[in-house]
Amino acid sequence: MAVNEEQKRSPISQKIPLADSNVQNMVTLLSPRFKSAAAMAGWDEEALLLASLIVEDTPVRNSKHKKRPPLNSSSPSTNSSRIRRARRTSQQPIPVILDLDAEETPKKESGRKKEERACVNNEGSKGAGDGNESKKKNPGGPSSSSALPCIDKLRDELSCAICLEICFEPSTTPCGHSFCRKCLRSAADKCGKKCPKCRQLISNGRSCTVNTVLWNTIQLLFPQEIEARKAVGSLNSREQGKNLSPETAFYANLRNRSIQRSGGASSRNNSRRGVAVTSTTQEDEDAALARRLHREINEESPGTTRMRTRRGVPTSQHQDAALALRLQREEFIQTFRESSQEQTIRLPSSSFARENLRAMASRAMNPRTRDRRR
Amino acid sequence: MMISGGGGKSSWSSSTSSWVPTTSVSASGKRIQREMVELNNDPPPDCSAGPKGDNLYHWIATIIGTPGTPYQGGIFFLDIKFPSDYPFKPPQVVFKTRIYHCNVDPDGLVSMGILKDDWSPALTITKVLLAVRSIFTNPDHYNAVVPGIAHLYSGDRAKHDGIAAEWTVRFAK
Repeated sequence: MAVNEEQKRSPISQKIPLADSNVQNMVTLLSPRFKSAAAMAGWDEEALLLASLIVEDTPVRNSKHKKRPPLNSSSPSTNSSRIRRARRTSQQPIPVILDLDAEETPKKESGRKKEERACVNNEGSKGAGDGNESKKKNPGGPSSSSALPCIDKLRDELSCAICLEICFEPSTTPCGHSFCRKCLRSAADKCGKKCPKCRQLISNGRSCTVNTVLWNTIQLLFPQEIEARKAVGSLNSREQGKNLSPETAFYANLRNRSIQRSGGASSRNNSRRGVAVTSTTQEDEDAALARRLHREINEESPGTTRMRTRRGVPTSQHQDAALALRLQREEFIQTFRESSQEQTIRLPSSSFARENLRAMASRAMNPRTRDRRR
Repeated sequence: MMISGGGGKSSWSSSTSSWVPTTSVSASGKRIQREMVELNNDPPPDCSAGPKGDNLYHWIATIIGTPGTPYQGGIFFLDIKFPSDYPFKPPQVVFKTRIYHCNVDPDGLVSMGILKDDWSPALTITKVLLAVRSIFTNPDHYNAVVPGIAHLYSGDRAKHDGIAAEWTVRFAK
């Protein structure tokens, strides 16, 4: 009976590990082009694997050819263990598919991000999936966005009817039309709570939610536009929201005064300002911009950590500049706060003060850099 | 880095024919600019439009009278004024060329639903021009601003068309 069973199973059990190894081989053997073509045809990874499995199973010559490497490499003992394992798996109702999944996971994890994006694209842009797919499979990524033949159509499709630009944080109405969240909100405020496109009634609460799938798709497809718009948006909010003119005036004032002071008498002043002032005024402005952008991006959107890492534009250089500026500001404040006291203290003790300030600066720098890193 | 409030009346002092965005403009300005680009790239049939001078919020447009209507062969000039909160408020469209039409009041102001309560921010100047063009062929005599013309249109179409054609020849050619 046992022998009988053994015999009955043996063909299957031999076949299954073979299939597994073949699948693995196949996965690595599949050219990216073929994959993209398959993706265009709407095959997901599983279908692809199944297809490859079928292809491998049917022609005898092929399977023979594939049989050789695992058999040659493995000793009889490992072979038997293999059979045993295979038998175990063969007792499961749908062994092939389960095995496939198990074998696939390492590959999946390696290409997980890619797949995720593809997934997002599949859901997000309904009609234009094929374009997305072909783009996603391109190694170029964002830079290849202009290479897409249907990018103009996509742009039209994904632009907001109100501002006529690419939807920024799109929000979708119950009737299925998408607009920038801000545009939709102001349209609801100023033109009544109806869809700008089809005039159906929209409820206000619903109009504030961002269609995340669409938003992610847009960010993937038009990274430059979105970045530009983000920058402009934060700039605008800076200039409109907070009245910054007093602040800038304050800085300018501070700078002027400090220059006067340093030019006037004391080299002490210069040396004390030390590291922080290495950035020239020109750089100051850039730094201030970067700093503000950063601050506002951080404040504005809690979910943008991913974006920030991805954008990579204001990286270490700008951060450093921003840091320098902030330190400079602190030091200015410190200077003016202590100036009255220091005027009593004359040159001999100035070195002490210098040391003090340096220590303070380094102390201030350390936690901040730590914050940045976090 | 000035943010223009929009709707500025000839506040641009330079006299170049093409408006060059040297400053960052407001949302309405940006939208109007985009419309301008789109209109240039893909103009609607028998229509043209563009800023009158340096003011982005003041356009001039022309519509050629649709063949088969009493307005055939006429060139009608229109003034378009954008409000400062433009996409959310309709533009004001005024015929500069005199026209015998029940939806155009004696001052030339075009009276259409989409330019009043039925305005939607998703409408563009292209669509507005097409709508104006469509009232050449199908006057909306139920919502007329000049009841006399509407009356004539529904009562004695031939006479109405005759007068309209006469006006076209007299004013629009």
